[in-house]
Amino acid sequence: MKISIINFLKEQVGLIVALLFLMFFFSIKSQYFFTYSTFITIINQVPHILLLSTGLSVVLIVGGIDLSVGSVLGLSGAVLGILLTKGCSLPLSIFMCFIVGILCGLINGFVITQWRIPAFIVTLGMLEAGRGLTYLFTNSITQYLGSKLDIIAEPNLVGIRFPLLLSVFVVLFIHFLMIYTPWGRHCFAIGAKEETAHLSGINVRKVLLSVYILSGFLASLAGLLHCARLSSSDPNAGIGYELSAIAAAVIGGNSLSGGKGSIIGTMLGVIIIATLEVGLVQISVPEPWKRVITGMVIILAVIIDTYRGRIKIFRKNG
Amino acid sequence: MKIKYISKTKHALTVLGITVVLCFSYLSCGKTVDSKQEEKEGKKPRVALIMKSLANEFFKTMEEGARQHHKEYSSKYDLIVEGIKDELDINRQVQLVETMIGQKVDAIVIAPADSKALVPVCKRALKAGIIVINIDNRLDVDVIKQNEIQIPFVGPDNRKGAKAVGLYLAERLQPGDPVAIINGVPTAYNAIQRRLGFLDAIKEKELNLVADENGDWEMSKANKVVSALMTEKPDIKGIFCANDSMALGAISALKTGNFMDKVKVVGFDNISAANELVQRGELLATADQHADQLAVYGIEYALECLKTGKVPEDKETPVDLVIKK
Repeated sequence: MKISIINFLKEQVGLIVALLFLMFFFSIKSQYFFTYSTFITIINQVPHILLLSTGLSVVLIVGGIDLSVGSVLGLSGAVLGILLTKGCSLPLSIFMCFIVGILCGLINGFVITQWRIPAFIVTLGMLEAGRGLTYLFTNSITQYLGSKLDIIAEPNLVGIRFPLLLSVFVVLFIHFLMIYTPWGRHCFAIGAKEETAHLSGINVRKVLLSVYILSGFLASLAGLLHCARLSSSDPNAGIGYELSAIAAAVIGGNSLSGGKGSIIGTMLGVIIIATLEVGLVQISVPEPWKRVITGMVIILAVIIDTYRGRIKIFRKNG
Repeated sequence: MKIKYISKTKHALTVLGITVVLCFSYLSCGKTVDSKQEEKEGKKPRVALIMKSLANEFFKTMEEGARQHHKEYSSKYDLIVEGIKDELDINRQVQLVETMIGQKVDAIVIAPADSKALVPVCKRALKAGIIVINIDNRLDVDVIKQNEIQIPFVGPDNRKGAKAVGLYLAERLQPGDPVAIINGVPTAYNAIQRRLGFLDAIKEKELNLVADENGDWEMSKANKVVSALMTEKPDIKGIFCANDSMALGAISALKTGNFMDKVKVVGFDNISAANELVQRGELLATADQHADQLAVYGIEYALECLKTGKVPEDKETPVDLVIKK
């Protein structure tokens, strides 16, 4: 266990240093940053994006991409909202919300594996179609859910809300799946080289399908948490989240070409972006500059990551 | 091998260094002066102005008005201005309010991106002892009631304003003439009120409403919608647009389709580009709700409320019709 913790620290050292640096920097600049309430604000803001990025990371690891996560979040949230306002029971509505996510993932995965169409195009189609369906179902109107979802959003442990605990649990669970199960290994193998994976007897189609279903399911779970957070189901929920999720995954060291990545890294990526968002607000940087800086941080993170990789090779060779 | 890697890492380090320095130089020269002053002067009330898209000129004008006001009264309060990247980004706006609660500001003046979804977080702000004033887009009255809270709305009567603009157009048409409405984001209170205002005018002058379309407040969307509309129903005589951006989009669509002399367009907001078109006679009229003062009304109300400790009632601010001089 000790060794694995040290390994983990070694793996993620770049990200942890970056995070500490950001925290240090904002603490100097703003008297309000290094407080408990800021900490709580930051971590309670991440659950849905954490789930999206986790699903997306697995997809990136198998060498695919899922652009539809934001729309699936919106669609499943819309279905949840409509069922709840129509008077369906909470468990049934949540169940249907998940079914919607799983179905979207299934369609993505099926089309990608069956007809060998690039994931980028299929999920781009799903992004559009999903959003369209969301507007159709909701009539483009925000459904206010009142206290119906408070049972999910409200319970908290010293300010840490249930959605966060749930999403962290999911992240850890998937992290262990990726590291300790054959399925996880297969994902990495497929991402590294699909042909080789196929020849070594891995059922590539099945694994890919499961990965897209997982991504769809996590998106619907994120949809549930998003609705609970806003106490309403918003037809525009999740627009642009696919890009935030990709950014977090990339900062976390996942490679867009597959075969490499880490779920814990993605989690750190999400936290770094959230810290940056809250910190930049607190030192009142104008909105356009926030986006410039966030963009630079994404690029910077990848530079550091490549640089770290080179040092490793350097050590081995030297 | 070694040399190659060292040179590469050096290269990477240089890029990294430059980026970090750039970040720092900007951050340190930009805003630190303000924050240091804040610390020195201590206990002025801090008012957070949370707006919608700062890329939209209307909100930009509001922001500038607020900053101007703050310059004049900088001894009385501190101002924090935040906005979101586009008007649909509700979650980000919720995050901003949460961040402000975390920062323990004294008052929040908010132009909510959604009239329902922002209520719960405003309730949380109230619970944290922060005064919340609603400007621009009115929070849903029913949802506020359900939550058993009170959030005063300071702003213009959009329905009245839209009716005034609508009547100005309607008076220049014959009863029974076909007309169209291009709406804003249908969930937004303003969009609903302006539509009702246009409908009031249409009803009063007995016009024939043949299209009631959604332009999402956006120029490009309105352009597409109007282009499609004019091919479908080329006899349309008047178009009511719920904001000026959409009116600009509508006008460019009409120009492309050579409908300019047959169709009259009105907008709402009096942004500078629209004002120019009004003076040139291409846009018939628009309504000025004094965007530069809207946020200021809210801030003044918040300060007054901080002083007296009472929850103020809603307050109506003026809307004026803008026509060719």
